[in-house]
Amino acid sequence: MADGTPTHLEAWNLQLAEFEESSRVGPARAALGRMRRNKLLLLGTALGLIVLGAGVLGPIISGADPAFQSFASTLLPPGSEGYLLGTDHLGRDMAVRVFIGIRVSLMVAAGVTLLSLVLGLVLGMFGGFLGGWADRTIRGAVDFVWGFPLILVAVLFAGGLGEGLFPVILAVGLVNTAAIARVVRGEVLSLSEREFVEAARAGGLSTARIMWRHLFPNILAPALVLASYYVAVAIIAEAALSFIGLGAQPPTPSLGGMVSDGRNFLQQNHWGATIPGITIVLLVLAVSLIGDGLRDVFDPRLRHEAKGVDEE
Amino acid sequence: MGNSWMDPDLGPEVAELTEQYMAKKIGRRQFMKRMGVAGVGVAAAASILAACGGDDEPDTTAATAAATTATTAAASDGGADTTQAAAPAETTATTEAAMMGPVSGGTLREGYNRDVSKHDPATTNWYDPAFFAIYEAILSNDPSGATVPQFASGYSASDDGLEYRFTIPEGKLSHSGGTINAEMVAEFYRSIQTYSFIAGLAAPVDTYEADGNEVVMKMKNPWVGALGPHKTGYWRIVNINTWKEHSITADGELNAASTYGTELADGTGPFTHEEWVPGSHVLVRRWDDYPGSETPFFDNKGPAYLDAIRWTVITEAGQRATQLENGDIDTLINPAHQDIGRLESNSDLTVIRHPEWSGYHLAMNRDYPEYFGDRLTRQGLSHALDREGMVQAILFGNGAATYGPFPTTDRNYESAVEQYNQFDLDLANQKLDRAGWTMGSGGVRERDGVRFEFRYLVEDETVQKSVAEAVQAQFANVGVRANLDVVDRALAFEQQSGPGRDSVEMSLFFWLWPIPLDVLILFGGSQFIPVPNFSHAVEPRVDDAIASWQTSATEAQAQAAASQFQLAWAEELPYIPLMNQNATFVHNNKVHGWQPFVWNLYPYYNDTWIEA
Repeated sequence: MADGTPTHLEAWNLQLAEFEESSRVGPARAALGRMRRNKLLLLGTALGLIVLGAGVLGPIISGADPAFQSFASTLLPPGSEGYLLGTDHLGRDMAVRVFIGIRVSLMVAAGVTLLSLVLGLVLGMFGGFLGGWADRTIRGAVDFVWGFPLILVAVLFAGGLGEGLFPVILAVGLVNTAAIARVVRGEVLSLSEREFVEAARAGGLSTARIMWRHLFPNILAPALVLASYYVAVAIIAEAALSFIGLGAQPPTPSLGGMVSDGRNFLQQNHWGATIPGITIVLLVLAVSLIGDGLRDVFDPRLRHEAKGVDEE
Repeated sequence: MGNSWMDPDLGPEVAELTEQYMAKKIGRRQFMKRMGVAGVGVAAAASILAACGGDDEPDTTAATAAATTATTAAASDGGADTTQAAAPAETTATTEAAMMGPVSGGTLREGYNRDVSKHDPATTNWYDPAFFAIYEAILSNDPSGATVPQFASGYSASDDGLEYRFTIPEGKLSHSGGTINAEMVAEFYRSIQTYSFIAGLAAPVDTYEADGNEVVMKMKNPWVGALGPHKTGYWRIVNINTWKEHSITADGELNAASTYGTELADGTGPFTHEEWVPGSHVLVRRWDDYPGSETPFFDNKGPAYLDAIRWTVITEAGQRATQLENGDIDTLINPAHQDIGRLESNSDLTVIRHPEWSGYHLAMNRDYPEYFGDRLTRQGLSHALDREGMVQAILFGNGAATYGPFPTTDRNYESAVEQYNQFDLDLANQKLDRAGWTMGSGGVRERDGVRFEFRYLVEDETVQKSVAEAVQAQFANVGVRANLDVVDRALAFEQQSGPGRDSVEMSLFFWLWPIPLDVLILFGGSQFIPVPNFSHAVEPRVDDAIASWQTSATEAQAQAAASQFQLAWAEELPYIPLMNQNATFVHNNKVHGWQPFVWNLYPYYNDTWIEA
């Protein structure tokens, strides 16, 4: 077509070629091939590796203490002697603090994702497949949590457990669990009507076995794709909570906390806020691109929609 | 009776000039000029002038205080410090409107760097600028620091220093319309003695009684500092009937659920309580029935010019200057230190700086003797702190390091304290080693199986957080881990105030008071455990010095007691002193008659007006 959108026939031929390729090389290699062809995924991965490398290797290479203060060297801009990214208001090395901040963000994101994925899968599968009171209870609980703003949940947890990363992981994880559980439940409800599940039931398989052997593999991919989206959400949430003082506590640096500190010195040295701000953007961008790419690769329905195939 | 404010011990030249001025033989300008030749400071001369009944010429002189630096872009040449009070014409009369004189109306929008306190002098743990609008004290400090009447029309002291009499004029009212007489003032003062946690400030006072139209204060012993507390926010005059109705239960106990100071206040000042919203703002409105002020240095003796005053809480330091520059507020108390230079270069604003009687201190709860029980450990911690560096980095030089409890600018400052608490990492490590602390796992010291790791509380305010973080990192340098816990103001006070180990191990606190020793008595005296002696420290040397201070009948005795107190504090370290900051006030040049000065902490609002 003139506007570049593939015609139905072109899209169909593309899918056919992919199907033939996957038949020839196997699904895993086919997926890998699709990943290699997905430019956004590659870009996101490259960006992610750079940021991840900075977070993991930066502090090791620099060897500096993120809490070390030099009162004679405060608010230095990037490129100042001995300070790659300058210093903050207490004369601390911004580069080391950003590296550690990335590490903290990723740690929180990993914790949140693991928690929300496991809980979301379990609750969604049980609710969707068992139905009845179990479904009503889980759905009620999920709706209850879903109704609370993240900040409020985080404040409640911080009130009970004190400020720090653990309450942040719990709060964000809980809210994300609700999101994942809702999607998983919907998928399970749909899958429950499919023939292979009916066949399994007719074959006398136990509920647990059906869930584990037949439902779980089918919902894992969309759940992972969804979780990848919530990694970005978790990073932003951690930054936001640290910005208002509920996240990582001093002397542990966090990107949100650094933005918060830096905004008081925008007139003197704006880099104190902009560098961690840009880092958050890059981190979220990398994770989002990876998430979108994975969705394109592993979620055929969305992939087909994206390529202009009318499902009907 | 002697020592009346009406009979200052003036030199003959000053007295003669005053007589000539009062006889209208010389004008105001000539008076001021010749006072300067006679060696009298601008603020002191202004005070005398005001006491003489003012003048028909526009008076802006008193806008600046003794020891105050007021600068505008034109006057300061880049904001360099000066020790001279800025010339009146440079600080205020900037427009034709200003030359026309005060106009009524408008709401003054003031930015405040702290969260707001309960508007109840008897039960609050801090008093805010609104106290200077809602309430009046029986006496006040004038711009030169001299004691002058405020609610009282005059006062006197007996020659033996055992009795003070304050004259209460007839016709004094409170906001609710009730008459305030001497008996009611005396009864409110007795209530402070009974209920206020701050009553120890005036421990040498024995009784308050009424005698006709006079409040009679009888002392247990002569004390040169007797009037000091009575000029502060905690002794501001409240309609005792209203206060009792809300604040005292039928059993005579303090009503913890009282709404006095939050939903209502019944003072005698020129403004009435309207709204009180913690974390947000306070609003007061002009009291049109204000019967007038006895304060000699106010030009405006009648109802205030302003319709209302709204204080906005701006705890984020970086936001304060921005709000002033954007026109969201008209006046500002304590901008971020890093923004002061920029504000000084703004020709639309006037910046007033003066040394502040305040201090950042670290409280160490002695009910955790495993950490802070021995002096050697406390001294080791203190030597680990680079105070000069913190002053430069955090206060941008707008303050001074303190090695003892007093700010260096206080008249009773004892410089010998500087032999203690100097920054010396080697000495810090040596003292901690000698105290038995050995380096353990993770770079944290241990003693008798106890890791030197504890909770360290700080109030959620930008500068305090920076100070706390700086201290935390410096403690880490000597193997001490202080786990910072940032909480809001009310929670901070609550967690500092518990008995024994119910109170946090270490906390940072900031005090602000016109007479350091008066307030530090509360923080250091053993009779004030657990609150406000947050350290729960019993230091006999400190207690002895307090006793000496509160029985000092002469200035010389007071100075000796103050020195004794400072040296004991600096060596025994019931608290670790850190630094004090300068007070900074900024106003839009369309605001006039806003007079912050060092002796009263905050400005009065009787003379304040805004150009239309």
